[in-house]
Amino acid sequence: MRVTAETKAATRQRILEAARQLFATSGFEACTTRQIADAAGIATGTLFNYFATKEAVLASLAAEVVAGVHRDFEDRNSDQESFEEELFTFVAAGLRKLKPLRKQLPVLLETALNPLATAGDDDVPSLRLQHLETVARLTKRHGLGELSPVAVQLYWTLYTGLVTFWAQDRSPKQEDTLALLDESLAMFASWLQLQREDNPTKGGA
Amino acid sequence: MPPTIAELMRALPEESEALAEVALREPLAVAFRPVPVGRWRRLRLLASLQTRIAAAYLFYWVRSWFERADQKERLLAETHWKTALRLLDSMGYLRGAVMKVGQTLANFPDIVPREFVQTLERLHFDAPPMHWSLFREMVCNELGDDPENVFASFDKRAFAAASLGQVHRARLKTGEEVAVKIQYPGIARTIREDFRNFFLYLLPGRLNRDWQNTKEQFDDLRTRLERETDYSLEAAVQEKVRTLFREDDGIVVARVYPQYSTPRVLTMDRLDGVHVDEFMARSPSQDERNQFAAKMVHAWYRMLYAGRLSYADNHPGNFVLMDDGRLGVIDFGFMVAHSDDEWKLMHKVDRALTTGRPEDRIAVVKESCLITDESADAERLRLSEEFFDWTGGAHYRGGPFDFGDEADFRRGIDLFTEMVRKRYNRARPSMPAFARLNFGVRSMLYRLKAKFDVRPIAEEEVKATGWDRSAYA
Repeated sequence: MRVTAETKAATRQRILEAARQLFATSGFEACTTRQIADAAGIATGTLFNYFATKEAVLASLAAEVVAGVHRDFEDRNSDQESFEEELFTFVAAGLRKLKPLRKQLPVLLETALNPLATAGDDDVPSLRLQHLETVARLTKRHGLGELSPVAVQLYWTLYTGLVTFWAQDRSPKQEDTLALLDESLAMFASWLQLQREDNPTKGGA
Repeated sequence: MPPTIAELMRALPEESEALAEVALREPLAVAFRPVPVGRWRRLRLLASLQTRIAAAYLFYWVRSWFERADQKERLLAETHWKTALRLLDSMGYLRGAVMKVGQTLANFPDIVPREFVQTLERLHFDAPPMHWSLFREMVCNELGDDPENVFASFDKRAFAAASLGQVHRARLKTGEEVAVKIQYPGIARTIREDFRNFFLYLLPGRLNRDWQNTKEQFDDLRTRLERETDYSLEAAVQEKVRTLFREDDGIVVARVYPQYSTPRVLTMDRLDGVHVDEFMARSPSQDERNQFAAKMVHAWYRMLYAGRLSYADNHPGNFVLMDDGRLGVIDFGFMVAHSDDEWKLMHKVDRALTTGRPEDRIAVVKESCLITDESADAERLRLSEEFFDWTGGAHYRGGPFDFGDEADFRRGIDLFTEMVRKRYNRARPSMPAFARLNFGVRSMLYRLKAKFDVRPIAEEEVKATGWDRSAYA
């Protein structure tokens, strides 16, 4: 029997939904691909036709929830916000969406959030690339020029550090993560500004 | 719109090019700097603050060698301003318990240099706020949605900012005009870290025989400030205090809206009016000033005698003279609730304040300050008793008392300073909170230059205690 594109998409969606629920109830580590397949009503082998690993399932879930945030930022009218403030809004909006996956995110530090990640899996756009493209657009829009490789690396180090901190944050409603985000972005924005002042001809950091 | 701190700094003459460079290199112009939350970072910033203050005065001293006498005064004033601005900037930036110290310094008009007081007073109203994006996340975290969705309207600009949070105007969907106070993220941690840092400053005194008592006082103050970070506790106290006042008292405590309040957000009715300094700027008559002051005293005594609560956060930002002449009291985070043991002592204090007899005063002072009959404690007893006289004399002597008398106000500060200098700090653990309360009360009445009799107010309010006072005579 030939599997149509619609059937494939529906199966993929069922796997993701089953994984979302199992990760939330049992946690990422305790949950197996077999359990995900059972919950999705497919054979374990079939699951691997869609996702190479359990981490890839998680990365797809994360990419799916943050995709909306990137789209929202394309249409946003934010003339009155500073770069630092808009960047804060962007990162915080992503964290809001990722909240159900908060504790599992460090798993992705070696894959989708890895500083060396590229558009790996065929249908899993790299979370990192999506995120950095938006940051680069924000930087440009605020007159801070192109992001240099150093700036990208610095920013991503701050971001992944924040995600790791967030996953372990035991403060009430993870308010310490907000404080850390505020400090980190203030530091990054000041550094970008300084770089721009030091190299005005290069048009950015 | 008032000038920013950076604009004020730039407007002042510079001490030297080197110092000017230091001043301008610092990120003063950034209006929304995040609150630094790391313990060591806060300690380093505090240390550099001390260094800068010392440098400013050292520079004044050196430069004044070469100035004519009539220029020295101007130079000193400039140094005061500049130092106060730096304090304001750093304390507003650090927030937490450090900012509380700044607010307390501002409670000593005419004692601390005038320039300090005028500048640090801005900590009561104008500390740099959180930026809107951070604020929105905090609201969403606490109330489950963006402020624009939770409220019918919401003013993005904070109208007051203080040590723990900032306040915004808003309207509920049911139409009530409210003030929404929201806490800075991580501020509870900064308070714990500030206290650990302050504790380092106390360590040289650990060989003192009163060390254990000092630690207890320190812990009491820390616990009270930490409790202040839980707005749900504040909401409960505020609701209790609200019920203590009747319509005809002319004293208002804002109603809390629990469905819009959490441990980090407090939503309450908005009380519009003017604060003490704005009131004084209108050159009110002595009678108007006395009325304002008498209402404050009524409020304090009502909370104490009917509520067994001492209002310990007396500063200009917490009292509003409303347009209809009523007094609005706000901010109930730092309240001292009296235990049964303390309440027994309060009964004895009432006796001393009623009779004014030396033996009654001495008995209270001994019990409060843990003073023994040892001869070594004689000087401690003398100073403590004089301090009691300063705080309670207006009450037990009765008759109009001039709270605007600078010499008398200074007497209290000098006595306290002398006790600190002589390390006469042994007392019940809650004493630092009461010292803060007493200075706050006197400072507010001094600012108002009030002249009136507090005794009839106290006599009226103390009836709520039900104490048997027949044995006083």
